[in-house]
This record gives sequence, structure tokens and C-alpha cells, in this order.
Amino acid sequence: MSSKVCKNCGGSDIDVDQARGDAVCMGCGSVLEDNIIVSEVEFVETGGGGSLAVGQFVSAEAGAKHPSFGDAHLTGRESRAQTLQKAKQHINTLGHQLQMNQHCLDTAYNFYKMALIKHLTRGRKASHVIAACLYLVCRTEGTPHMLLDLSDLLQVNVYVLGKTFLVLARELCINAPAIDPCLYIPRFAQLLEFGEKNHDVSMTAMRLVQRMKRDWMHTGRRPSGLCGAALLVAARMHEFRRTIKEIVSVVKVCESTLRKRLIEFEDTPTSQLTIEEFMKIDLDQECDPPCFTAGLRKKKAHELEMELKKKMDDVEDEIHGYEDEIDAELQSSRPKLRGVYAAYVKEDCENDNDGTLTTSSKMEDDEEPEEVDELQAVAKHFGKDLGELTLEALIKLEQKRSGEEEEEEEEENQEGDVPQRKGPSLESILGTMPSAATLGLSESINNCIGDEKENDGAADSGELDLSGIDDSEIELYLLDDREVKIKTALWMAENSDYLKEQKEKEAKIAKEKELGIYKEKKPRGPVKRRPPIRASTADEAIEKMLEQKKISSKINYDVLKDLNIKPGASPSRKPESPKKELSATTLTGRNRKPIRAGLSLSTPLSTLGKRLQPFITGQPNKKLAVEQVANSNPLPEPAGAPASGVLVESGPVVYDDAAADEEEEEEEETCVSAMELMGSNDYGCDGDYDDGF
Amino acid sequence: MDSSNDEALDIIVTNVVATFRTRCHLNLRTIALEGTNVIYKPEVGKVLMKLRKPTITASIWSSGKIICTGATSEDEAKLGARRLARCLQKLGFKVRFSAFRVVNVLAVCSMPFAVHLIDFTKNNRPIASYEPELHPAATYRIKNLKATIQVFSTGSLTVTVRGSALKWKLQS
Repeated sequence: MSSKVCKNCGGSDIDVDQARGDAVCMGCGSVLEDNIIVSEVEFVETGGGGSLAVGQFVSAEAGAKHPSFGDAHLTGRESRAQTLQKAKQHINTLGHQLQMNQHCLDTAYNFYKMALIKHLTRGRKASHVIAACLYLVCRTEGTPHMLLDLSDLLQVNVYVLGKTFLVLARELCINAPAIDPCLYIPRFAQLLEFGEKNHDVSMTAMRLVQRMKRDWMHTGRRPSGLCGAALLVAARMHEFRRTIKEIVSVVKVCESTLRKRLIEFEDTPTSQLTIEEFMKIDLDQECDPPCFTAGLRKKKAHELEMELKKKMDDVEDEIHGYEDEIDAELQSSRPKLRGVYAAYVKEDCENDNDGTLTTSSKMEDDEEPEEVDELQAVAKHFGKDLGELTLEALIKLEQKRSGEEEEEEEEENQEGDVPQRKGPSLESILGTMPSAATLGLSESINNCIGDEKENDGAADSGELDLSGIDDSEIELYLLDDREVKIKTALWMAENSDYLKEQKEKEAKIAKEKELGIYKEKKPRGPVKRRPPIRASTADEAIEKMLEQKKISSKINYDVLKDLNIKPGASPSRKPESPKKELSATTLTGRNRKPIRAGLSLSTPLSTLGKRLQPFITGQPNKKLAVEQVANSNPLPEPAGAPASGVLVESGPVVYDDAAADEEEEEEEETCVSAMELMGSNDYGCDGDYDDGF
Repeated sequence: MDSSNDEALDIIVTNVVATFRTRCHLNLRTIALEGTNVIYKPEVGKVLMKLRKPTITASIWSSGKIICTGATSEDEAKLGARRLARCLQKLGFKVRFSAFRVVNVLAVCSMPFAVHLIDFTKNNRPIASYEPELHPAATYRIKNLKATIQVFSTGSLTVTVRGSALKWKLQS
């Protein structure tokens, strides 16, 4: 700041006077600097004779240059400071609702600042971020607040909050320690109102929870659920009656969750202890988590099934042998069979056919030709429709194997020496099976015959590689014309509301476009715009405009027009009209002034209103004329100039506000001459009100 | 760990999500009215089309972007996508099959032992996070592979991986 060398003489002897704020060269006397900014404390005398230091404390973070006087809020500070202040307020409000102490709130505020610096607040609702900061504090401090509480206060989905919280914790590298269910117990116990025994019940519940932890019941579960179960048991142990519903309302878990926890606890060996034992002893044995044991059970069941299947296979093999023998005998003793079993045959011919065929066909897995022969041989006994039956049987064989095993067992256990005995039992099976089998079969056939999945490299050029795509199958996906019509009708019917809305929207937009104004999302009707008036002078223009505009019948416009010529000479009078825009309709007649009576020569052009502005080019020589014309302007549009230079605008000028116009255009005969009106323009609207009567 | 055990741990891919573009504008109403297995959601602005053969659900937007979900392998996803494009072609749109990209793969695996989530999270502090109030599993994120693994206390894992070069990730 202060150069050690004088610029004029080069001398280095410079006297800096802090009090005067000058730097003067002692050699040549030239003033090098003045009004040096001084950082000294000044004192001022107060009323009682004491002294005050001048100035205000400015906090480092605020960075505010202007002190806040009356409005201590958000005026004129920079954005960051405003954000921080808002956040602080919110944090305090929320925190007090949760009964958190000030230390926690301060920590939360610090977290928020950190989040702000790292730009984590962007794209997230401020309330969410604040809640997440608060919850972060709760976790680090270990207060018994749940995320559910916060979401209750904010009426926000808890998972949304949770997401924000997780992101925050990750970005700020804050490792929140895991929740210990024991933390929640005192809080819930209080809410359950155990009175004097509160402490005892809490201790018991805590022991229970710790036991649950050791039994691995708490991993992956909401801590509140465990607490609920523990408290329920503890309450009962101390002879308090707390129903499940009461606990549910306090702990905020579902009834079924509570029940499940209780059941799981029941499965642990600890549940077998009596109350006294439980208080004293702590079992060493630890259990596996309940879902793990459930998984193990499933595994065991599966293994059992496998074993059973194997056994079945063994049994089947035995039966194979038996059936071979039977077939051999059948062949040898055909005529006998015919005779003996003719009766049976006649009764249930087809059924038996099926039965025999399927039984025999079941036996041989892969020996198809042999099957066919044998089947044919067997079928000859009973029926003639071998071809179909054989095929069907063969087909059914493949599909039925797995499904029929259980039933097979039943029949085969009979060890039917005679195939016919198996017939009836198979009947019932066949009655239900075939349909499933044939369906299943068609799928498998399709799989065999259908496309193989060739996955060549995609043609990045954009061409569709059709290899491996069966067109006929794709055609299935497309409806034919008739179906299209039906579907169209259905769809239209369903979505008729939506379609209507769309049509209306489109119509509106089209209309507005036509009219040259396309206002997006405005529910108003289309705004009419007149073709621009071409005139050589402002007078002409205004005259034309007057003609165009729908003019009220209550005003004698000729008289008004006369005003053009002689500003003060016309006999007609125009009452002063306060330029009340909005209350146009309310003030009927009385104070309505059709004319910009308050205009004077000094009225700035801008106050003449939007309507007139296009015609007013700002040339001074036209100003007079314009104003004169304006005086005759019957337009009641209050959007124009108020009496004085006070510009009171009503907003966009609405041309077809005919109703308002008419009301406003009621002329009143008062004894105020135009000249006076012209002259008395300095009162402004308020002044006009008085004169308007 | 995976392949050297006696009992090989099977990791099964259960879902593959892929996107591609048809590079032409699609009229959703036509698709909705002329296709079977189609759900049209005009409010959202998309059509859901379900294929049977590779069981795939596709979301089709009018800009020509299509997302296919539900396939069980990358190849299947590609086949399904091509099928879908063929179907659209038949409907009369000038479809070109471009920018096919697998976006996400979900796989499931099961450990034969249970996992103590709290200790697990403590040991793997910044990478793993566990929030019992929100989700019963601990989430373990591998940033450079862009993978997220959810570890359940029973020992089952679900692995989801985003982005490119997925094949080698599945094998490693």
C-alpha cells in the first residue's frame, strides 16, 4: 500500500498518519495517499456517558457486507449464507420435535455444511438432506431415534430417506455404527408405561435381546421388531399385561412380525428356561439364524425326495422284469386270453387298451421299435385303433415319466400279473394326464423342431440379422385385421378419457396457433389481435383505433374528440378519474374517468399506457398532440397513466374487457374543466379520489 | 474360491437387461393396436411388449429406444431383441438394429455358510454398508468392476453388474 519511496522526489522519508489517514512525504511535502483505510477500533460516546465500540460483528461464514436492521432474514445476503441459515432453522425445528439436545443439532448443522460443500444437496429435497443429517447424528451419538420417526415427521417414504442417508454417509465417509436394539428398549419401555417397575422390565428385556443376538436372530431384521418381542415377553414375565396391539403401536412393526419373532425365540433352547433360571443362567449354546435353519430343512426335504425317487426306480426295475414275463405268456396264450377276458374287453375296451398300452410302453424307455411290436401285439387283443394309440402312448411316455412316477408306484406295487388289472387304476390316471401331456409335448416338439439359437455378432451397421428368427412365429405376435379392429375398439373404450383430454389440448393449441398467439399452458381463451393500424400521425392512429375498438354507447365521443382541438375549450367535462385499474368494475361511474384527464405536458410518455405506446414514438413535438388526443381518449383502460407520474398498471391489457369498459365509460358531468384537469396532475391517484366526487 | 472347491458354487444368472435403438420413430399406437401381448401406457409414453420364447419384456418408446428385460443370458437377450425388432419390422416400421448393449446383469449365488452381517460390515467398512432398518442385506460395492453384491445373513448373494465387458466379470 504505502510505497517506501516518494514518487516526486524519491525520498524515502514518508510519514503515515493513521489518525488522519494520510501518507505524506517529508522531503517534498506531497501527499502520497489519503483516506487510507484504517483498521482501528473507534469509540463513541453513549447517552449515559459510557463509550461503545463502533461497528458490528460479522461472522466469518456469513460474508455479509450489509448489516441487517429490521429484517434479520434473507435480504441481500449471498446465496450460500441464506441456504445455511435456512438449513439451520429447519434442523433446529426438526431437532426440537425429536427432543434432541443442542450439541446434536450443532453436529447436524456441521454435517449439513459438509454436504453442501460436496454438492450433495443438489437434486435432493432440502428436507430430505436435513433429515439425513439429523439421522446421521443420531446414529453417531447413539440416540434412540429411528429413521421411521423422521419419516413420520416429514411424511416421506422411509426408503427415500434411507437412500439419501446412505449416500450422505458414504460421501462424507462417516461410519455410522450399527444399531443396537438395546438402545431402543428404554425408549419403548417408557412409552409402554410400566410405572415403577420400568427399570426391571427394561433390564429383563435387554437380557432377552442379548440372548436373541447370540442366537443370531437379529441379523437382517429390524431392531424394533426384536425389541417389541423382547418387551412383550419381559412384560409378561413381570406380570404386566401388554397386548400385542399396544406393543405394535409403540414399536411400529406389524403383528405378524412380532409373532414370527416370538416363534423363532420359542425355537431357541433359551425359551425352555423358567423365569428365574433365565435371569441367572446364560446358555452357552448358540443357534443358527432362523432362515438358515429353514433353508437346511428345505435341503433335507429335497434330499428325502431324491432318495424316494431312487427307491422307486428300483421298484420299477423289478416290475419291468415281471411285465416281460407277462407279455411273453400273453403271446403264447392268446386264444385263452381272448376267451377268458373277452368279457372284460367288451366292457372297457378302449380304456383297457390305453391302460395296457401305456403300461407296456412305460416299461421300455428307449426301445421304440420293440415297443411298437409289442404294443401292436397287445393291442390286437383288445382293439383295432392301434396306430393312434401307439403313437399317443409313445408320446405320453416321454412326458409322463416324471409326473406319473407316484401313480406308477401305486399301480406297479400291485404287481399286476394281468395287464388288465392295471387298466382300471390307470384309467383314472389317464383321465387326468393326457391333456397335460399333450400340451407339454407340443412345447417340447416346438423346441426340437423350432429355431436354434444362433447368436452371431450383431451387424453394427444397423441391419437386422435375421438368422435364427422364425418368421412364422413372429407372425403369431401380430394380430390380423379383424382382431386389430376389436382391439382398437376395446382400447379406445378404455382410454377414452385420456383421448378426450388429448383432443381438447390439441384443438386449443391449433386454435391459438391460428390466431397467431400460441401461449403455452394458458387456460385462457384465445387472445384476439387486431391488424396493426397504419397511420401517418399519432392522431390518425388513435382515431383509427378508436373506431376499431368497441366503444361504449354511453359516451358522446364527438364531444370527446373535440377536446383534440382545444384542450380547455370544450364544454364537455370529464371528471377526474383515478386510475384505478383493478377496481374498475367496482367503482361504477362515479370515479370513472374515460379520459386520461390527469395528463399534463410533463407526463412522461411511458405513463401513457401500453396501448398508446406503439403510437408514441417519443418525439417531443408529438408529445403535445398525443396528450391532447389522449385526453379525448375515451378508453377507460386504467392501464394507462394515472394522474401523476405514478404508473399504476393493471397488467396485460385486455382489449375485450368490454364490460369493464362500459362501466368505466360512464361519463359524469362535473364542473371540472379539462384545463383544470390537465393542470391538476400532481396529486396522484389519492388526490384524484377526493376530487372525483 | 469359486472353482477350486469340491462342491462348485453355482452362480446362476437370473436377469439380463439390454437396450438397443431402432433408429426410427415408432408409432406407439400402431404397435399397441396391432400387436399381441402388448400393454400401452400413454401417460408414461411407452409400450410394454412381452415375448414368449425367450421370456422377455420390452419397453418401447416412441423415439425408437427399446429396453429388454427378463432374459437369462446375454445371448438370449440378443436373440430376444432381434426377435422384437423383426416383429416391429413386420408392423411396418423401418427398423434398424443398432447400438445393442447389455446394461445390467443380475446373478444369484448361495454360500453354504451363514454370514454375520454386522462383523462383515465392520471389517469392510467403506465398501460395505448395512442398514437393517431399510434392507435385510448388507450391500458390498466394488467400484472398479461397477458391481453391487447384496449379502444376506443366510449366505445367499445377489450380484448385479452394470456396463460393458460383462463376460469376463462373470467368470472372475
